[in-house]
Parts: sequence; C-alpha cells; structure tokens
Amino acid sequence: MQQREREQAAVDCQAGAEQAPAKIIVIDDDSAICLACRKILLKEGYQVQAYEDGLRGLEAITAWKPELVVVDLKMPGIGGMEVISRVHEFDPQIVIVVITGYATIDTAVQAMKCGAYDFLPKPFAPDPLRLIVRRGLEHRRLVIESRRHEMERELIKRRFVSFISHQLQSPLAAVHQYLDVLRHLEDSPETAAKRREWLERCVKRIAELEELIRDWLTLAKAEERVLVAQRCPVDLRPILEGILNSYEQMAAAEGIRLEARLPEQACLVWGNRHCLHVLFDNLIVNAIKYNRPGGRLSVSAQPLGDGQVAVAVSDTGVGIPEKYRRFLFEEFFRIPREEGEAKPGRGWVWRSAARSSPKWAAPSRWKARSAWGPPFTCACWPRRRWPRAAGRIWSRRHEPKREDDSHYR
Amino acid sequence: MNPSGKTILIIDDDADFAEALAPALEAAGFRVLRARDGHQGLKLAKLEAPDLVLMDIIMSERTEGFFAIQEFRRTPSLAATPIFVLSSLYDAVADFRVAPEAAWLAHDAFFSKPVDLDKLIQTIRERLGLNAAVREGTG
Repeated sequence: MQQREREQAAVDCQAGAEQAPAKIIVIDDDSAICLACRKILLKEGYQVQAYEDGLRGLEAITAWKPELVVVDLKMPGIGGMEVISRVHEFDPQIVIVVITGYATIDTAVQAMKCGAYDFLPKPFAPDPLRLIVRRGLEHRRLVIESRRHEMERELIKRRFVSFISHQLQSPLAAVHQYLDVLRHLEDSPETAAKRREWLERCVKRIAELEELIRDWLTLAKAEERVLVAQRCPVDLRPILEGILNSYEQMAAAEGIRLEARLPEQACLVWGNRHCLHVLFDNLIVNAIKYNRPGGRLSVSAQPLGDGQVAVAVSDTGVGIPEKYRRFLFEEFFRIPREEGEAKPGRGWVWRSAARSSPKWAAPSRWKARSAWGPPFTCACWPRRRWPRAAGRIWSRRHEPKREDDSHYR
Repeated sequence: MNPSGKTILIIDDDADFAEALAPALEAAGFRVLRARDGHQGLKLAKLEAPDLVLMDIIMSERTEGFFAIQEFRRTPSLAATPIFVLSSLYDAVADFRVAPEAAWLAHDAFFSKPVDLDKLIQTIRERLGLNAAVREGTG
C-alpha cells in the first residue's frame, strides 16, 4: 500500500513540477548547434542547458532531471544511441529528440527503436525544432496524465475491494465472536439471558449482512450501466402512492403523519422503474425510521413543464449531521451509526439514485435547520434531456418555491 | 472483577464485537473499558491509563484507528501503552493485507477479526508480563 502511495505522490509531484518552465538539455559536439538550439529554446521560455559531449550531458541529466533531451546521434565518445538507452534506464519518461547530419531511414528507425520520441535531420530551421520540442513536451504531459489516471483508477479499485471486504466482514466478525464466546459460556440463569440476547444480535447482524449483499448487487447493476439500458418512460405518481400506502401502518405505529401532494395528471419521466421505486422507497422509509415520534413526513411531486418533475421528500427527523453531508454522493458511503441509534445507515442509495434518473438538488435548509430532516428534492428529466445533463447538481433556481417549503414545516 | 490488576481498553465502533470480546477478557481477569471511536478512546485512556489498548482501524472515518494510534504515540502518558490492532482490514485479500510487522503502524501486535480469543489473551498476558495461562470459561 505504501509503495503505491509513494508512486502516486511521485506522479503528483511530477505533475506539479510540470507547471514550471520545462527543463531541456541539448547535447551536440557541434558547438554552433548547441549554441543555436539553446538560444532558440531559451527564447521559447524553457530552461536550457547545453553540453558538447555525451558523458557531461548524461551527468547533467542525472543531476538536473530535465523533461526533454535533444541529442546528436553521432558524437565522439558516448554517442546518441547510448545516451538514449542510459537516459531511459534513469527515467523512461524523459522525452528524447534525436538530431543528426546522417539522416537516413535506418538511423531514424534505430533511434526510435531505442526509445527516441522523434527525429530531426540536420540542417534544421528554428521552427521545426520549436515544433518538435513542443510536441515532445505535450506527449510527455499526456503520458504522465494517463499514468495518473491509471493510478487513480487502481486506487479506487483497491479502495472498493477493501471497503467491501470490511463491510461484509464486520457483521461476520461480530457474529463469529459472539458464537465463540457462547461456546465457552457456562449454563446459569444469568448466562441464559445473555445467550438469548446475543443470539438475537447474531440474527440481526446476519439480516444486516443479507441486506448489504442485496444493496451491493443493486449497486453493481447500476455501475455496469444495466440500469441505464433499462430506462423507459415511468409515471412517478403510482410509484409514490404505492410506497406511501405500503408504509401507512408503519408510520401510524410511530405516530408519524403522512402528507402527500401529488398532482392529478401523470408524472412521466425517463428512468429505470425498479431503481426509481427503490430510490423513493428508501427515502420514504428512512424519513419514517429516522423521524421523531409524532413527527411528519411530506411527499410532493410537481411537474415543472418541459417534461421535468420535481419530487420532494421532507421529514421532521434527526436530519443528516453536517460532517457527513459532503460524503452523501460518494460511491460507498454509509452514514455510521450514532450513539444510541439502533438502525444502520443506508448511504448506498444516493449513488444508485444518481444512476437511476433524477438529478439532486442540494437540500435547501441544511444550514438553517441542521436538527431537522431537510427536504430531499430531485428533478426527473424527460428523455431528450438525458444524459447530457447527468451528474450536475440541480441548480437552486429550479427548486420549488419557498412557500412550498412552509408546507413541510 | 480485576484479579490481574490490569485494565484493557477496547476501541471499536462495532458494539457487538466489543460486547462479545469484553466478557472473555473479564473472565481472564482483566478490567475492561470500551470506547466507540478514537476520540472517545483517547479521552478515556488519558483518564484511566489502561495497561493495554485493543484498537479497531476502520471506524466512523476510514483510517480513524491509524490516526488514533498516532495520537496515542504523541501523548507522553500513553506513548508506551501497548496497542494491539484488531481489524478485518484487507484480511480476505492477501494482496491488501496490512503487514502485521509494519513499523509505520506504530502498534504492538495485529489480530485479524474474528479474533482467536485464546491467542489474544495469551499474547496480552505475555505483553503485560503476566504468567501465561489458558483462558478460563467466560461464565
């Protein structure tokens, strides 16, 4: 793990160094060429050093670590070919441009085979030199950028594996530990109560694990774009009504008043029916579970014209602590359990929600009403607006008017 | 009950894991304290000066345990307190496993979850200079 972090730091450092003027070393036994190249490249704003023999040039490369080297192929002592191979032993990302008076196809091919980026035949005018250097540096930038992206992808993959491993193992470890201790527990009236309590906890943790696995499968479907492929016109109205009906008893048991403000007409959007159902089901059930006794839950759908529908789910519950809000849309975030709280978080829903169709609005009163559950508002878009606008947080100007909020409070 | 005269602090956000571990340690003669996160653990450790700490790694923050260990090491009164890491971190995938001997972790021992209780208790006793003894029943 450390090795990878070091590599990442090296790439970041390299990227940072790229902001400064590029460093170029010119090596040519012809002092006139050295001087001319240095002058031309300095004028371009690069930092330039020039050397008239291969050995001194190589020493400078090791010490100064340039981004690009311009080297003559035919020199007494250490020639251009040897410079190329020794430079790439030292740092394969240094771009090498070869210049020579003996320009033939064979020498060009040989130099490229040895790892040169490009080839410039003598005599050359300033413009081709400027161009080849610019292209060489751009090539280097792209290589570094691509390497960085590759490492970021690798890092995300590793985090994903470790995160899943941890998420799945935590309940298993707890159950295993309970069972291990239960094996050693002697029989007595006190231990009988403990035994029952722990077995009950084991059953709960296993149920939690099953739920986690289901969640991951849904998320995997979302990540594989299966849900995207299954998008079709969906009427949100019957989905919301159905969900609210199914939780009527649960809400009544908690003393929570359900309020629905759904329009007469259909609320057609473009999305994945199952995922939209899961999304609103989770929002609504969480708004009941995490509400305060005797609280209120409001669900509204509002066609905005142009085929958009704004759906708001609002409750009078505990809300989401400030410190966790910025993580809400992170791929594998689950809100941890707070002190004394019995129910596990279900942060995965936000990520799959983002893949299911709607755009999310930043809950409007987080700052002002941190102790309350703010309305989660999302806009579901018609087909022709998708997916170009994907991934953007819905702008505040599209939120339902403020007077609508008063209904929720 | 504290026949060994030693106190062990469990820092773990999984209440079930700590609940299962605590009686086994108590049955082995230790006084057990529990904390749900690194911050609470550090606070409790400053007050109670435990003889040994059992530390989880991934708590409310992904690397909370690592930072908590560093805090312990920076606190003069706790710098020498032995810390055993108990974690399911990366254990299932060999390539991701944290090397138990990793010096940068600044811990004393690494146990993967679920923990082998006999081995854990024996290692604790050895580390605290108590006579190694087989764990008695937890009843």
